[in-house]
Amino acid sequence: MVDSKNSWKAWLYLAPALVLLLVFTVWPIVNTLRMAFLEDYSGLMEKGGAVFNFGIGNFLKVIQYQRFLNCLKTTALLCVLTVPVSTVLALLISVALNSIKGLQKVLQTIFFLPYVTNSIAIGMVFAAMFNIVGSFLGSENELIVTAGIINNVIEFFGGSHVNWINVGSTYAANIFVMVVYIVWKALPFKILILLGGLQSINKQYYDAAKVDGTSKSRILTRITVPLLSPMIAYVVITSFINGFKEYTSIVGIFGENMGPADDKGRLNTMVGFIYDALSSNNQGRASAAALILFAIILVVTLINLQVSKKRVHY
Amino acid sequence: MKRRILALLMAICMLVVLTLLPSCTTSSGKKSAALFEVPEGGYDGSEVTITFYHTMGQNLSTVLDAYIVEFNKLYPKIKVEWTQVGGYDDVRDQISTEISVGNQPNIAYCYPDHVAMYNLAGAVVALDNLIDSKITVTRADDTAEILGLTDEQKNDFIAGYYNEGREFGDNLMYTMPFSKSTEVLYYNKTFFDEHNLKVPTTWDELEQVCAQIKAIDPESIPLGYDSESNWFITMCEQLKSDYTSATGNHYLFNNETNRNFIKQFRSWYQKGYLTTQKIYGAYTSGLFTAETGTRSYMSIGSSAGATHQRPAADAEGNYLFEVGIATIPQSSNSNRKVISQGPSVCIFNKKNPQEVIASWLFVKYLTTCVEFQAEFSTASGYVPVLKSVANNPTYAAFIGRANGGAYVSALSAKVCLEQQDAYYTSPAFNGSSKARDQVGALLVKCLTGDDGGDVDAFIKKAFDDAIAECEY
Amino acid sequence: MAETNRVIMHEKDMSKVKSNSKVGGVFGKIFTYVFLSIMALIILFPFYWMIISSLKTLEEYRLSVPTFWPKVVMFGNYAEAFTAGNLGRLFINTVLVGVVSTILSLVITVISAFAFARLEFKGKNILFAGLLATMMIPGELFTITNYGTVTNLGWMNTYTVLIVPFLVSVFYIYLLRQNFLQIPNELYLAAKVDGTSDLKYLWKVMIPLALPTLISITILKMAGAWNSYIWPRLVANDEAHRLITNGLRNAFTETTGDVNYPIQMAAVALVSAPLFIVFVFLRKYIMKGVSRSGIKG
Repeated sequence: MVDSKNSWKAWLYLAPALVLLLVFTVWPIVNTLRMAFLEDYSGLMEKGGAVFNFGIGNFLKVIQYQRFLNCLKTTALLCVLTVPVSTVLALLISVALNSIKGLQKVLQTIFFLPYVTNSIAIGMVFAAMFNIVGSFLGSENELIVTAGIINNVIEFFGGSHVNWINVGSTYAANIFVMVVYIVWKALPFKILILLGGLQSINKQYYDAAKVDGTSKSRILTRITVPLLSPMIAYVVITSFINGFKEYTSIVGIFGENMGPADDKGRLNTMVGFIYDALSSNNQGRASAAALILFAIILVVTLINLQVSKKRVHY
Repeated sequence: MKRRILALLMAICMLVVLTLLPSCTTSSGKKSAALFEVPEGGYDGSEVTITFYHTMGQNLSTVLDAYIVEFNKLYPKIKVEWTQVGGYDDVRDQISTEISVGNQPNIAYCYPDHVAMYNLAGAVVALDNLIDSKITVTRADDTAEILGLTDEQKNDFIAGYYNEGREFGDNLMYTMPFSKSTEVLYYNKTFFDEHNLKVPTTWDELEQVCAQIKAIDPESIPLGYDSESNWFITMCEQLKSDYTSATGNHYLFNNETNRNFIKQFRSWYQKGYLTTQKIYGAYTSGLFTAETGTRSYMSIGSSAGATHQRPAADAEGNYLFEVGIATIPQSSNSNRKVISQGPSVCIFNKKNPQEVIASWLFVKYLTTCVEFQAEFSTASGYVPVLKSVANNPTYAAFIGRANGGAYVSALSAKVCLEQQDAYYTSPAFNGSSKARDQVGALLVKCLTGDDGGDVDAFIKKAFDDAIAECEY
Repeated sequence: MAETNRVIMHEKDMSKVKSNSKVGGVFGKIFTYVFLSIMALIILFPFYWMIISSLKTLEEYRLSVPTFWPKVVMFGNYAEAFTAGNLGRLFINTVLVGVVSTILSLVITVISAFAFARLEFKGKNILFAGLLATMMIPGELFTITNYGTVTNLGWMNTYTVLIVPFLVSVFYIYLLRQNFLQIPNELYLAAKVDGTSDLKYLWKVMIPLALPTLISITILKMAGAWNSYIWPRLVANDEAHRLITNGLRNAFTETTGDVNYPIQMAAVALVSAPLFIVFVFLRKYIMKGVSRSGIKG
């Protein structure tokens, strides 16, 4: 290909990015490593003159946390559930949007709207949609003031209301709500990327297929998806990475409690765990947890890359 | 590619380990805060700028601005710059980051657990030497004052508020009370009068009143308690049982007395007597002010939130019902306890001792100035930290207007003034807010959980788990 | 115009082909519209909620049973939000930071993605994998170290500190590299033979072809400037440099520490409006860029 004496040019082009990354990303990572191996390191205590032992105590402490496995389970579960659902849904919406003419502009604008909707507003509305206000212990003194919009809809169709996020709700119900919320939040970004990709696909491929009388579903699986595969790979890989860093969505629905009121921390995630350690200024433990999380994400991403190498068509 | 990444990671790890090893020594310890050495001569009149972080809304910062002007008439060379930093947690997060590079402000709004955290770095000034200083300072209007507090000034502080500054386990004073609130019992006075109900003063009476209300209006939840954490901690205080300690083993709340009151509350909850904000799923004030359907007739919440507890007015400006306010129920009338909340202020160590002295002069001015405390309290709904504010004509007039409708804030302040002997504060240490969160969640869990047939075992298990979470 | 005509012509041909081959097309169309409408309603709901919340009184907002339309419509909230929030200054700061950081970020992203997609050099793959790996570490951990760095650089309370640290996004480089990779290498080699410089080739060929992606990046970056909160609060919280989210968060806190949500929502709606208009405007460009893409140009 291009002769390698030109490689200085590549480094020149990369220089601005690399310099900035060195200062604002790589150095913090090195510092994170330092903190992770200093037992019970705290920035404030160091400032106060404390000296810390070198060792793997932080890692042991993280792993020994009684709810560590629980954090891991919730994080992984949310990832595995939300990534396929949101990707498929975004793909369907993008394809549908790309196929229509009337109202296309309006609908496209609507699907961009969440970018200008403040995250505080979004969290509030989702919590309100699923929240049951009232007292509901046993059938005897169940007093429901309002069951939430979702339950109203269920009751309208003859079902009985579900305790989604309140006291006494089940883990499955909580996870369901989180999946809905996370998918909702993830959709606009994915639609944006996939629609951008779709619209740069050469129309000739479709024309040929249509002349041949290929069915729609076949066009989708045999033409659209393969041609879109770099974008899909991008969307899947980044949403796995973001999925493992999930935290703010849970705060949005459940607040700092990270779970229903009677089970604090039930839905805590890895990043939530890191935040807890940071807010008590235990950066050592936070760093150790972050490195463990990093290792997990690295493995998942390598698997993803391996899979996409086989499936992505450039 | 996989192998290459691994190699890269290994290389980074090695590098870090190598750079770290030489600097590693054993022993770790907490720096004990040294007392501030007041320089001879006190404030030398030099020009200093001091920064103040707070969370005041615009109406309050206007009051603050007015008194900065007044302060500058006395000390024209001390320039005060304030920054409004979101909420209390934001202040904590910002300052703890700033301390790590020595960039902290001079003065900040604080809660005790924030100060305990800042003190990991020994960043907060212990005020004792300043408070006790007899050095005379001359002011611009040619009057003089002593740098410290006079006995009169010290005694004017409401004791429960002032003592909060010493709850850090080393008997040093780190904070000055700035503006306070507490919890009060709001009740539907119209309903209580109509049915001839007695406002409960003890928890036993509360139980009876709940039963009576339930008989009158079976659809109701008689009591809504806003803060689960406050309820737990206040019960510990009222029953003189252990909650936490600033020194030694911090988390002491897993004991027989505490498990028993929780068990009792559980039975009340099961009878439908009460709810809390987290159990109810919305502000309990919304239940108290509801116009139709399920409602409550008593509500325990912040004294500063009185206007939220008032029902909507009709077109003529009449309120749906009259609000009554009383001290929260007690376990025994000989040991009355109500929680003290709201911001204090602390001063940070700085290289230039004049900045610390100037900060102290400003803090002293704000906390001991009757006019400021009166005006600030009227604007905020918080209560002043000085007893003598009650005699201030403006504030007295404000209190004089107290009623259960338009002037419900004044009524709330009036009740607070009457219970000023009952304030308590909890020990503060790094992690005390974790204990606070845990006991709140614990209360909810114990009230509502499925006990599987053995309620004692269920409660014991929940307490054990909460302790384990705290101690982690 | 010529291009538009070409597209229309092309669509006409296609519709002929379609009507010949498919009878169930109408049903498919209806299904598509129903599906899109339902999804659009779901997407719109929180936006609607923001608007009605911004028109409520605080008392109504705090009711246990949420109302779907304000009982008393409080347009006054908007006036109060504007004055209390000092929105003018916040707005100028945010636009300045948003525009400058977007432009610089685009430049850096384009040349980096170009290097990764088109140039060959030793250690390219491992470097790229390394960059991807940095995305996997929760950014919260960087805050403390970066705070120290910018303090040492003397950047506190400047525009620089709001712009520079986050100029490079591995996300965007990755996204654009993927897009560049789709453009056949032959074009580049041909350009090399013709003696076209890299930059000219980038400007004339790569950028037009990757325009939709670049616009997506622009949108994301601008929205980022609009929503960034923790970092600006920490490093530039003075009147002169404060950004909109910080201003909003600070301005409407009640004395009890509660936030006056209706007014905050009004302020959010106010500051969202310009961004929304920019989006509507940019949407046309996306379409334009898209109709121009396609390899034969």
